[in-house]
Amino acid sequence: MGSDRVRLNVGGKPFVTSRTTLANAGRGSMLAAMIDENWDLVSELVSEEIFIDRNPSYFSVLLDLLRTGELHIPSGMSEKALYREAEFYGITDRVRHARKGPLDGNRLECVASISGRATGDGTAIRASPDGGCCVAHGSMVHVYNWAMEEQIPLTLDYVNVNDVGFLNPNCVVICTCERGDRAGGMASFNVTSGKLVHKFQVCHDDQLKNFTAGALASSDVHLYASCRGRSYEYGIGTWDQATGQQINFLYETPGRPLGDACKLQWLPQSNLLLVATLFPRSDHSFVSLLDFRTKGKVWSWTDSCQRKSADEKIVMDAVAMEECSTVCVVNQFDNLGFIDMRNSSHPVRWSHRYRSARVSECEERCYSKLAVSGSQLFSSKNDSVYVFCSPDWDAARGVQTARLRKTEGGGAISDISVGGDSLFVLHNEINVFDVWETPGSSGIAEVL
Amino acid sequence: MSQAKKKTFKIEPFKHKVEMDPKYAEKTWKILEDAIHEIYNHNASGLSFEELYRNAYNMVLHKYGEKLYSGLVNTMTQHMREIARNVEAAQGGLFLEELDSKWCEHNKSLQMIRDILMYMDRTYVNNFNKTPVHELGLNLWRDNIVRSPKIRDRLLDTLLDLVHRERTGEVINRGLMRNITKMLVDLGQTVYQEDFERPFLDASSEFYRLESQQFIETSDCADYLRKAEKRLNEEIDRVTHYLDPKSEAKITSVVEREVIGNRMKLLVEMDNSGLVSMLIDDKYDDLGRMYNLFRRVSTGLQTIREVMTGHLRDTGRQLVLDPERLKDPVEFVQRLLDEKDKYDKIIQLSFSNDKTFQNALNSSFEFFINLNARSPEFISLFVDDKLRKGLKGVSEEDVESVLDKVMMLFRYLQEKDVFEKYYKQHLAKRLLSGRTVSDDAERSLIVKLKTECGYQFTSKLEGMFTDMKTSRDTMQGFNATLAGSESNEGPTLAVQVLTTGSWPTQSGARCIMPREIFEMCNKFKQYYLSTHTGRRLTWQTNMGTADLKATFGNGNKHELNVSTYQMCILCLFNIADHLTYREIEQATDIPAPDLKRSLQSLACVKGKNVLRKEPMSKDISEDDVFLFNDKFSSKFYKVKISTVVAQKESEPEKQETRQKVEEDRKPQIEAAIVRIMKARRLLDHNNIISEVTKQLQARFLPNPAVIKKRIESLIEREFLERDRGDRKLYRYLA
Repeated sequence: MGSDRVRLNVGGKPFVTSRTTLANAGRGSMLAAMIDENWDLVSELVSEEIFIDRNPSYFSVLLDLLRTGELHIPSGMSEKALYREAEFYGITDRVRHARKGPLDGNRLECVASISGRATGDGTAIRASPDGGCCVAHGSMVHVYNWAMEEQIPLTLDYVNVNDVGFLNPNCVVICTCERGDRAGGMASFNVTSGKLVHKFQVCHDDQLKNFTAGALASSDVHLYASCRGRSYEYGIGTWDQATGQQINFLYETPGRPLGDACKLQWLPQSNLLLVATLFPRSDHSFVSLLDFRTKGKVWSWTDSCQRKSADEKIVMDAVAMEECSTVCVVNQFDNLGFIDMRNSSHPVRWSHRYRSARVSECEERCYSKLAVSGSQLFSSKNDSVYVFCSPDWDAARGVQTARLRKTEGGGAISDISVGGDSLFVLHNEINVFDVWETPGSSGIAEVL
Repeated sequence: MSQAKKKTFKIEPFKHKVEMDPKYAEKTWKILEDAIHEIYNHNASGLSFEELYRNAYNMVLHKYGEKLYSGLVNTMTQHMREIARNVEAAQGGLFLEELDSKWCEHNKSLQMIRDILMYMDRTYVNNFNKTPVHELGLNLWRDNIVRSPKIRDRLLDTLLDLVHRERTGEVINRGLMRNITKMLVDLGQTVYQEDFERPFLDASSEFYRLESQQFIETSDCADYLRKAEKRLNEEIDRVTHYLDPKSEAKITSVVEREVIGNRMKLLVEMDNSGLVSMLIDDKYDDLGRMYNLFRRVSTGLQTIREVMTGHLRDTGRQLVLDPERLKDPVEFVQRLLDEKDKYDKIIQLSFSNDKTFQNALNSSFEFFINLNARSPEFISLFVDDKLRKGLKGVSEEDVESVLDKVMMLFRYLQEKDVFEKYYKQHLAKRLLSGRTVSDDAERSLIVKLKTECGYQFTSKLEGMFTDMKTSRDTMQGFNATLAGSESNEGPTLAVQVLTTGSWPTQSGARCIMPREIFEMCNKFKQYYLSTHTGRRLTWQTNMGTADLKATFGNGNKHELNVSTYQMCILCLFNIADHLTYREIEQATDIPAPDLKRSLQSLACVKGKNVLRKEPMSKDISEDDVFLFNDKFSSKFYKVKISTVVAQKESEPEKQETRQKVEEDRKPQIEAAIVRIMKARRLLDHNNIISEVTKQLQARFLPNPAVIKKRIESLIEREFLERDRGDRKLYRYLA
């Protein structure tokens, strides 16, 4: 047998390739393990040909992927079936990389629009780290894996879902409102089995407390959530992801902003947690950065002393951009504003993108939502998402570089989320969400 | 939270229930199980990887993941037990080898099993939070073999025994040791730490405790240190050869604790070979070894430092207070410098120039130098000696290095102003007698003093140099005018005009000069005052010298180099041959102590007695009669008749100098108090004392009692007042 040549017979069709090509699949794949020296001896003795009992047409596409690094799916071939075959050979990661490049707001393409089965308006969409997502509808959470296959839906006994988030691709955390009968609070579920993994509880003086979990955020090992309850359970709780144990609680008296926070964001580079309490949860907006190593606020901003009349700007969403040291906010007129994260005393600098006069009061509309990826800022407005490049506090404005809008439309956008190199856009009018991705090195001949 | 099943009515289409072979799972698992057995029996050649992989894939796909996983656990456990039995059965020395070879095989088998079950690893294990196959294999190995009761202790004993044997000089199979410890590390850091490292450290600690006990009884300090160093290197070597790198810090700290830390005190204080004798004998290597070893222990260097400082202070105190040494100031200072050199060298060669040791050395010197109140005087005398003769023919760099060393000693002095006082006196003598070796060296030292203590300290010293220079110019001008005015053949006059205040002059030194000299002096006075108006000249006859040409009995001609006083006395013998003490005193009006000293050096020094005295005796009394010594002879034409001066100060002179110093300090202390109070306005007593001390310590250490007296004096003169409310507070009165 030739030193580098390998003869395969896949489902009756002969293939000749090289060990180098198969080794490209990586040691964790079936193809590379098959030619490992532990097993090598075997094939040599039995026959010169290695037989694989799979469909040859999919194999030829995948073999080409190993040879060239590009994925070409012939027209008429089911993408789902191809993924299943890739899963068998253990090269799913390579397929995913070939399909999808690192997220770049200026090169996004809408690769899928998924219509949900459930009725009712979607309240939130969250991306998973591997490219899947989940959508919260009232008391239901629908989870989709990276191939946009729907998993077992999670039904939460008619308590309203406030926030959801992925701890890892297999595990989703759900925050719900409290109810009198000890239901509510926060728990994590396995997405494939739908089973409960941990219930995250708040303890004070060795007593379990009933509480409403508001917003959540997670670091590598911890989970943070804003909590509201009856007496002592106001503030930000910290739990261990692996064990579900509460390890910290930052208390505040009722009415103080922390417990009412409607947006948390973990900043991995500076080890800080952004906590934003915004309209309509409170009359005034509070944004602060917490350092849990010192249990203190290291930065904060509020408009409580600035706002005078009703038509003044109200902050509707806030997001921190670590790379630009800027906290970005958006108001009810979809104007963007920027606050310096390095200095506590600075005010918001608003960019005047739109005129407030043009907004009519009667029209039902969705307020703008913000999301961040690296130095790119995504901001939704009506049925479009606008992409801004590296805005910072000094310039007081971002440069708009792209506008994402699907032609058929799905009505106004109620939420957006970035993660796993995808942008997810949830529409308000019809139960549909779009997936935007940057194309990978491959050309895909036909989508679905 | 619970999962509510939605109960909705659905119309299902008619479906054929696809019946699967009910024994499908059993059959498939059997194939896989057999394969795992074959793999463990090294009989994998008949297996088809593709088939096994596909079977495992299908089992997971058809929801038999649980069955597959638990089957795997059971089968592997079975094999582990069998291996454990084999390893247990291995005889004596073969035990480790058997364990090692089985471990290698297990690793290979585990790899193959993982390959087959790769799909299960990716999906089932991930979704149901099970332990991945590889980790499972390691855990089973750990629980069934390494930690099985029959193997665990035997393994540990074997390993510890091997280490012990190597420590006692035997050669062991290091490769095997490395494989086994690597296995423990692969099983997890906790396994390595609990099953080997901790007992290993305990055993090492015991071993070294006993060994160091034995060492310390049989060896001297240097020998012990050598052994300790060797042991430490051996342990570091051991770690690199067959232990986990993380163990290095732990085992070295055990050796450090047992061999060095616990024996430190004993070692340092060992009779005849401890630290003190090493210091005395300059054992650089041993000291360096001690430093490097003790540095590893937290209080090690501190111990060395304390013993060194104690020894240094003791020897220093003896040196400084030894009455024998006080007789020769030059020798005294030279000894101090030698001592400093010795320890500088030790610190440089053995203690790697450790700053803390340098500081300890400095503070020790500061401590004992100031024990002797005469140190400032002696240091100045040493400089005087060096600058007058000691540095003749020495290269410029050597001069610099001597001066630098002197400056170092000077830095240790607390009473720098006393040094200044003496230095001024000695410098004046050197300048006036023209005895200084090198102007450059003098100036260089002044510059050093200036950088050390500031401009104020040396301004007067520099003034002295300026005076010398202007005097030379003045004399040139004077001599030129004399030559111009057809002058007579009078004596030649050399005058040095000294600024009052810059020089340590004594006022009221008077004497009646011979007539011709007196005229000459008057001429100079006229010349000088004509060029410099508004000045006053007084003659410091006690500091001058004169060269006399004298003719003795048998026509012997000599030139006598004498002081001004002696010149006055000798000139009297131009007209008389014998004079009584009283006559001389009357004729010259020289103060009695100076007169006596001058006469003594003229009449009583053997070989230089140009006068005779009656009666012959060593001392001068007021009834003595002096005669011109006609029979004086010398083989030299020029004869220097030096005045008998005590080089060191005599007791009353010392008192006088001390008093003068104290007197000089008063205005300085007062100035400091006023400066501080002007800035602070209101201050309590203790704070004034500490601030004044701080301000003045560059020059001297003021005595608190003296400061208090100065404060009182200032209150009297209404610079300050006591606060009416709090008597401890002083207030500045502008």
